[in-house]
Amino acid sequence: MKKKQLASLLLSTAMAASLLCACGAPAETTTTGETAGTEGSGETITLHMWGGVPAESGPQAACDAFNEAYKDKGIQVEYERFVNDDTGNVKLETNLMGGSEIDLYMTYTMAQLTKRAEGNMALDLTELCERDGFVLTDYLGELANSYNINGKPYSLPCKLDQYGMVLNKDMFDAAGIEIPTEWTYDEFLDICKQLTHGEGADKVYGVYWNSQQDMMQYAQYLISQTLGGDNMYTADGTATNFTDPVWEETISLISTTMNEGYAPTHADSVTEKLSQESMFLGGKTAMTIGPWMVRNIKDTATYPHDFVTAFAPYPVIEEGQRNYTQGGYGDFLCINPRSEHIDAAWEFAKWYLTEGGIYLAAGGRVPAANTYDLEAVTAEFLSGAEDLFDAESLQRVLIEPHDNYAAPSITTKSNELSDIANQQLEAIYTNQVSVADSLAKAKADGDAALAG
Amino acid sequence: MTVAKGKQRTGGWFSNLKPQTRDNIVGYTFLLPNLIGCMLFTFLPVVFSLLISFTDWDYTKGFGNWNFVGVQNYLDMWQDEWFVDSLINTLVYTIAVVPITIFLALVISVLIDKYCFAKLPIRLAMLMPYISNVVAVAIVWVMMYSSFGPVTLLVKALGVENPPQWLADYTWAMPAVILMSIWSNVGYSALIYTSSIQGLPQDVYEAADIDGAGELTKFFRLTVPFLSPTTFFLVITNVITSFQIFAPIQIMTRGGPGTSTYVLVYYIYRSAFGYYKMGYASSMAWILFILIFIVTMIQWRQQKRIHDY
Repeated sequence: MKKKQLASLLLSTAMAASLLCACGAPAETTTTGETAGTEGSGETITLHMWGGVPAESGPQAACDAFNEAYKDKGIQVEYERFVNDDTGNVKLETNLMGGSEIDLYMTYTMAQLTKRAEGNMALDLTELCERDGFVLTDYLGELANSYNINGKPYSLPCKLDQYGMVLNKDMFDAAGIEIPTEWTYDEFLDICKQLTHGEGADKVYGVYWNSQQDMMQYAQYLISQTLGGDNMYTADGTATNFTDPVWEETISLISTTMNEGYAPTHADSVTEKLSQESMFLGGKTAMTIGPWMVRNIKDTATYPHDFVTAFAPYPVIEEGQRNYTQGGYGDFLCINPRSEHIDAAWEFAKWYLTEGGIYLAAGGRVPAANTYDLEAVTAEFLSGAEDLFDAESLQRVLIEPHDNYAAPSITTKSNELSDIANQQLEAIYTNQVSVADSLAKAKADGDAALAG
Repeated sequence: MTVAKGKQRTGGWFSNLKPQTRDNIVGYTFLLPNLIGCMLFTFLPVVFSLLISFTDWDYTKGFGNWNFVGVQNYLDMWQDEWFVDSLINTLVYTIAVVPITIFLALVISVLIDKYCFAKLPIRLAMLMPYISNVVAVAIVWVMMYSSFGPVTLLVKALGVENPPQWLADYTWAMPAVILMSIWSNVGYSALIYTSSIQGLPQDVYEAADIDGAGELTKFFRLTVPFLSPTTFFLVITNVITSFQIFAPIQIMTRGGPGTSTYVLVYYIYRSAFGYYKMGYASSMAWILFILIFIVTMIQWRQQKRIHDY
């Protein structure tokens, strides 16, 4: 009886296996046949680009402009949005590993870019650059080299990320405070204090840190100005740097604003799921940590407000500690090595870097390449909302390029280290432990993770 | 059958087989579609995950790009604070959710069966949280727990001056998630109990009435024992789903604050897709499987010992 059962099980397995093989073979031949057909007949190639920005915030306009310019050259592009969070990126990566559906896509962090370059999910652009005499540093300066992986370019960085504190100019004016162009943590704290007023539902805070979304990243905006892009690591990259005085001062500053009531606490931020948009545009805070909600400032239908938004560089601990400018390149445009239309994708990528960026400026993304006119970018950035921005500070803080960006070069286990530190920051912000002890714990855990 | 007959008439290799073998071939042919599905989507991944749990595979490096590290993953996890915390939290969660859910479900279904008007609408209403999208439910509960939400206002109305900020509180985040889970699961368990209660033999209850048994006696001496197979079924399914809790955590707390609501499946997910440690994540998944397996085995044994239905 046992033998028979075994025999029939084996038999059925064999049958299943043979059926699978039979399925596999013809499917492959069909695919190759189709490809040959489209390429051979010289039909229009339609590229598929995936990005995390909603189509209506710029990408669609850029793609439309490209399609118009290239309709006679046989290249068209379609944009599809993926949500740029853990789940969305997993979806993108499985798609990339699975096949050729995506031709081009956007990568948003260095850690992801490294993973994708090393995992054969992004094409090494060296050959294409050499073939066309397309020198990246001509367009992006020496900083372009910071975004090479193992010495090679795997992407075209399309966006200049240069952030600063976002300020409600009306509140500053009312309190008689100048829009700061240079300030220390003490001055910042003092301004937070002056601008905080009211009680209960009417309370207006000095600053909102948006900690429910991320704690590490936002603290690092401040820290990177003194310590640079690799602020999580010691100089040789073998240990973590969380006990550096700059970390301690910065976390203490954030913690103090929360504990003294100048900023919503982390617990409030989490339990109310407070957003930057609702806090800042709703007039409940005088400052907020980052300008990526610029596209919402323009959206007065959803966020009705009439105050003027201004910008200031992030504060530093003391004068003379501004070694770097927070910022660097972002929006890394990659080509899928499995794409069937690599040449067409490369054409689009070059266009997107040097000409397409202007269409994204209206959505608050500053183009990285030097092929754009600064005034034009500022105008595009402000378009339709000239009354709602302080153009001078906007151009100075967000648009004018610098030559000392805090670009990251080490990404070893960066997600893990962020989570480890995040856990300690959460403990500090909810007022459970001392800053020094918690950061020491973060360093110990982080070093163990790096060693392991 | 027609296929078999047709083959028989023409004669050939098939008709020369023993009738038993022929039947087997026909039978397994019918099973084939299902078998293929099972092989492809269950059996192979299971074997594959066992295989990679002994490697240091980073899935972005591509298929086959791994080193075998023996049982290192299985040893490392016990030194990993996050894993240990996740394991403890998962156990706490299960131990709290399962008994309370089942007890409430039993009491509620008996009460509805005996003392309630409009049974159907009430049962349907109780089932709503279970059939609603878990994401929607979790988001509604985030609102409920906010400082101006009904839960906080209720606690304030009861005289607590500074109620905790539930989901941001190290002590209260887990109970808050547990409460939500009980609320959303109790309807399903109550539904299963209700259908069992309706099938209970009425003559036994009549006999008990004649003997002068009170309601409580009947509940504990008749209803509870009669329902024990249902209880057993519910305990097993609830324990398994509790061990696998993920979505409410991902939406309500993302494991925070600190590690206070990190559960196993959430940490497995972070390790695999956040830190790209597929091998390590697989080994934790296997520990989770072994845990569920052991618990289920123990329950089977207990069940056999107590009643032999």
